[in-house]
Amino acid sequence: MIDILRIIVDFTAFYSIYLMLSVSLNLEYGYTGIPNFGKVMFFAGGAFTVGAIAGRMLAPLAGIDLSKLDYCMNNVYVGSLVSRYLAQHAGLALAVFIALVIAGSLVGAFLGWLASYPSIRLREDYLGMTLVVSGELLRIVSLNYDPLVCGTFGAKTPNPFSFLSGFAMDFTRSAFMFTIAMLTWLIVGRLVKSPFGRLLKAIREEEEAAEALGKDVVKVRMKVLMLGSAIAGAAGALYAFYIGIVHPSDYAPLRTFIVWVMVIIGGAGNNLGAAVGALIYLFVDRTLAIAKTYMPVLPFDLNYLTYVFLGIILILVLIFKPEGLIPESLEVREEIREEASQ
Amino acid sequence: MFSIEVIIDAITFSNLIIALAIGLTLTYMTLKVPNFAHGDTAVIGIYTAYTLTIMLGIHPYASMPIAFLLGGALSIITYILVYRVIGQKGGSITTLMIASIAVEVIIRSSLHIYADIMPKITSTFFRGFTFSKYDFSIPIGEATLPGVLIVSTLTITGIVVSLYLFLTRTKFGTAMRATIENPSLASTLGVDVEKVYLVSWFLAGGLAALSGIFLAFQIPSDPESGWGLLLRVFAASVLGGLDNIFGAVLGGAVIGFSEILGIYLLSKPPIGLSPAYRPAIPYLMFILVLLFAPKGITSINLKKLLGGEEKK
Repeated sequence: MIDILRIIVDFTAFYSIYLMLSVSLNLEYGYTGIPNFGKVMFFAGGAFTVGAIAGRMLAPLAGIDLSKLDYCMNNVYVGSLVSRYLAQHAGLALAVFIALVIAGSLVGAFLGWLASYPSIRLREDYLGMTLVVSGELLRIVSLNYDPLVCGTFGAKTPNPFSFLSGFAMDFTRSAFMFTIAMLTWLIVGRLVKSPFGRLLKAIREEEEAAEALGKDVVKVRMKVLMLGSAIAGAAGALYAFYIGIVHPSDYAPLRTFIVWVMVIIGGAGNNLGAAVGALIYLFVDRTLAIAKTYMPVLPFDLNYLTYVFLGIILILVLIFKPEGLIPESLEVREEIREEASQ
Repeated sequence: MFSIEVIIDAITFSNLIIALAIGLTLTYMTLKVPNFAHGDTAVIGIYTAYTLTIMLGIHPYASMPIAFLLGGALSIITYILVYRVIGQKGGSITTLMIASIAVEVIIRSSLHIYADIMPKITSTFFRGFTFSKYDFSIPIGEATLPGVLIVSTLTITGIVVSLYLFLTRTKFGTAMRATIENPSLASTLGVDVEKVYLVSWFLAGGLAALSGIFLAFQIPSDPESGWGLLLRVFAASVLGGLDNIFGAVLGGAVIGFSEILGIYLLSKPPIGLSPAYRPAIPYLMFILVLLFAPKGITSINLKKLLGGEEKK
């Protein structure tokens, strides 16, 4: 019984992270038409913020003098001492947790601004390529520049929920994460229904028309990318705390691909679609992970086969059902087209 | 300042990037979509040559024509099954790019599966191998010229020259240029646009797979090699202007040389940067190009840059 509960609690944590990612991509691509092929960079930005700051900042409180100790060589040890210290100070632990999630989202927003700067004025193919390249640039730097997240060692993140233990801890942590994800989902849902949301769709459908109406298209697209990246950054911070370690090679471009699969399958331009897409993907992913333990040993890594299937499904959806499972309502689309062309 | 080995390395690496940039530009001109699977097509070439070498003892250079045909065929298949279908259904550039990323993931993951299975059949490793032990070398004076330098330079020169003659001297080449310039006009003038696209995709894929083999002569290869190559080729093609095959040649040379010579200089004292930062050089150049010359190197107005009056 407790096993099933554990699976559900773990699922909720992962779902919260992926929900935030798919909501943010849907805001950027589904509503505004920005091809963010560098989603993982902003996710990594948030995670690296936690990985770089949490242990180093809290070490002195836990009675460790970092000037006498190589942080990267000993970061697992430091991390566990810090976790033990935080277990005695629940209030501080939660404050650190919230503060670093906010810091992660700020770093995400800053990276969004930085990465979009060279190409936001250019066509979508240039923007797509720039975001991919910037993401890889961040990964190469983080793998080799130890002061960030200790390069190939990876940086341990302290557990802010260590004042609880066992199932109570897992449950509380997932509850916190799910609350943050749901709040994000609701806020984005309200935003896209507001006049600003209609402006986004107008930009997506008729960029020139929106510009002719006096809207600063470049500025709006930049704002959306910054907001989307802030959400991705917060998701990255949550992920870093949840996994307990930040390792640069974990932030590979395949993560971006997965978020695209969620948004396209769920239905781009529909906030509910983003939530459903993330749920479907995660359900398949977790089921496979559990099934893998019961399967005979394959002559290859099953994950690769999963990626092949995901790629094929993505292409089939793009060809036969490009609007996704929960399409954007047509009337709204027509209405916006009319509004934009007037 | 640079030793002969570094220069040889730079030329060989540039040859590879040039060949890939030509192909990427060719397909970009047809659909206006950067083909994300282009780097993986090069890796298909590497694995074709490696498999033939291991199983049948065929020399990697001898398998270049087979790699060319296989890469070309794969490229045409993805064009027909994916890009053409989505294009005909009115898919946007972004939709095509997403599909292209999906194709990339499919090919790369399939190569991983292949590299997992093959060692069990052949009892040889299928990751991190090189062809360097199959290469020949020619001693000239103090230096030794590796075979891959000579073969790749001859191949790329041959390709660029024949592509130039093909595009300017043959009827089909002229039709191709017309189609790229204005597909609807070319079509009303009786050019078979579809055929032009098929030829472009075949040539691009074939060139990628063929030249990929050169990479394995230089550095250890695995299924992930294609991704890193792709981003360098993006940099080279964007530097070349993305709509100009000869710009791609120039872009490839600039990116290839900057990467090799750049990391050589930066990794020496006084800077002493870790050589692991090597790929950061082309990636940074990509961003700089977009900032300062988004239409590519061939669009830079030298007169304006030097402060002269711009002629209208």
